[in-house]
Amino acid sequence: MTTTEPVTDDAREAAPGAVARLVHSPSVRLIARRLVAAVPIVLGVSILTFIVLSLIPGDAAQLLLGPEATPEQIAAMHRQMGLDQPPVQRYLGWLGGALTGDLGNSLVSGQPVTGELGSRLAVTGELVGLAFVLSLGLAIPVALLAAYKPNRLFDRVSMLVSITGLAVANYVIALLLVLVFAVQFAFFPAIGFVPIGQGIGENLRSMLLPAVSIAFPLFCFYTRFLRGDLVDQLRGEDYIVTARAKGIGPGQVLLRHAFRNSSFGLLTVVGLNLGTLIGATVIIEQIFALPGIGQLLLQAINTRDFVVVQACVVVFAVVAVLANLVTDLLYAVLDPRIRYGNR
Amino acid sequence: MAIVEASASPALLEEAGQGRFRGWLRHLELIFPGALLVLIIGGCFVWPLVAAVPDPVGGDVLESNLPAFSEGHLLGTDPNGNDVWSRILYGGRASLVVGVAVNVLGLIVGGTLGAVSAHVGGLLDAVIMRVLDVLIAFPSLVLTLAVAQSLGPSQVNTIFALAFFSVPAFARVSRAATLRLREQPFMTAARLSGTSGRRMLFRHIAPNITPQLVTFSMLSMGIIIVIEGALSFLGLGIPPPAPSWGNMISQGQQALSATPMLVVWPCVVLFLTVLAFNLLGETLRARWSGR
Repeated sequence: MTTTEPVTDDAREAAPGAVARLVHSPSVRLIARRLVAAVPIVLGVSILTFIVLSLIPGDAAQLLLGPEATPEQIAAMHRQMGLDQPPVQRYLGWLGGALTGDLGNSLVSGQPVTGELGSRLAVTGELVGLAFVLSLGLAIPVALLAAYKPNRLFDRVSMLVSITGLAVANYVIALLLVLVFAVQFAFFPAIGFVPIGQGIGENLRSMLLPAVSIAFPLFCFYTRFLRGDLVDQLRGEDYIVTARAKGIGPGQVLLRHAFRNSSFGLLTVVGLNLGTLIGATVIIEQIFALPGIGQLLLQAINTRDFVVVQACVVVFAVVAVLANLVTDLLYAVLDPRIRYGNR
Repeated sequence: MAIVEASASPALLEEAGQGRFRGWLRHLELIFPGALLVLIIGGCFVWPLVAAVPDPVGGDVLESNLPAFSEGHLLGTDPNGNDVWSRILYGGRASLVVGVAVNVLGLIVGGTLGAVSAHVGGLLDAVIMRVLDVLIAFPSLVLTLAVAQSLGPSQVNTIFALAFFSVPAFARVSRAATLRLREQPFMTAARLSGTSGRRMLFRHIAPNITPQLVTFSMLSMGIIIVIEGALSFLGLGIPPPAPSWGNMISQGQQALSATPMLVVWPCVVLFLTVLAFNLLGETLRARWSGR
């Protein structure tokens, strides 16, 4: 929301005609509509988290002070943490802070959550980003090659690999990778994280196994999805017949015509995955001891640090919503019909 | 993932059966995963009843970490001296029971919710869908973690925790299927002839969306079993010493370099089970989509 508003404000001062054009542009309207629709979802997620968290038995004060703490001590701790206020008031207070970028202080460490989240998000972001680059970077060429000559050897093998690979859980892959590459051959560190500041090579070495664990099932899924969609397009669509009739070669038909259309389906799937993936990183970060947001979340759940849990979940929801928004924007980039509002 | 996968093309399966082996291959698609499932389910539920399988718990520490094919221990023993083969079988029971229960909950609650929502429409539909949107935007693993953590680790609580994940997914599939049905002439005919709402739901909608829901539940079985494994792996699912594939993997991970097979065995059965459900789901989808 904050990203689009300054643009319109600046434009308004510059030229009134440009504003009208911008406001009436279908892409901007699309973004605006999506943003408005996203607000209740993020709000709903934050309220739901708040309710779920207040229902969980056990609290941070009890865990911090230990089993011997007197009720008075716990009550004092609650006052200090602000947990003695009624839930609605606490939620509204949290919401007010969140809107100004302050997600509160951790109940356990007392540190502001926002700063902690930033560094954690960078690690998880790198992990997920790397996984997407690896999976899409491999899946697109493999799917194109498979669809180029369907039912030939390459197609058969790639489909067999991908349907088998889909059945492997990412934590299973992670453990097998650790077993082979870190324990048996010691190519890669089994666990631990090297910040990017200490050399990009070392950083990538510590990130590669976790990224591959996430990327492999995605690769299988995208390959199957894209190959299936490409074959469907090539088989029956009128525009393919037209392209072929014009004398365009099969490679060009595949790349410029079929792939361009199939990329919509792929984009949708990637956008949806991004939202769910960020949650799935919890277990991978746990296995490889990566200081990402998933690890933070798991720690916070274990210590009943509700402020941190709340912040993590809201971040996940915002990322999921933003991913869908970016997907919609990319549609507009790829599809002139959406760009020109001729829908 | 299965939600989006449901729209992927079944072209592979369709094209697999060309030529002379067509009939044979067409059945192989069903026979292979079906036989695998019969083996797995039979192995987990029937085999311990008819054959002498050691207890999965209460092993002798003096017999710890025996290698595979030791006397009386087909796959050896774990650090606590428990028989690995027996733990695999009993652990499979836990995984399959959780998977089936979560799917049945999803199918009944989610399926009904989606069908009613689509059929009634209007405000009710809007409210139900917004709530489901929130649940879907809510990272499912987080929700299950929170529920598992709040209710404490146990098999029943794992089922409830995972139902939060399956109910919205089933509701979406069921709603989409019901919306597609509404366009059909027989639905208009039923409406025009004054069929009551309940009769429409049970006699017209339910039988027609069931194939899609069953197909989805095959694909969702794989996902549920994997997530149950993840929860147990993180110590939030089925608590040890009771075996589950997830907590066996987690336990084995602690001595990965010394006894790697303790991780490999549960990983292999987990993989085979998920593969069987996925293949069966794919085949059913390809067949029921009328291609």
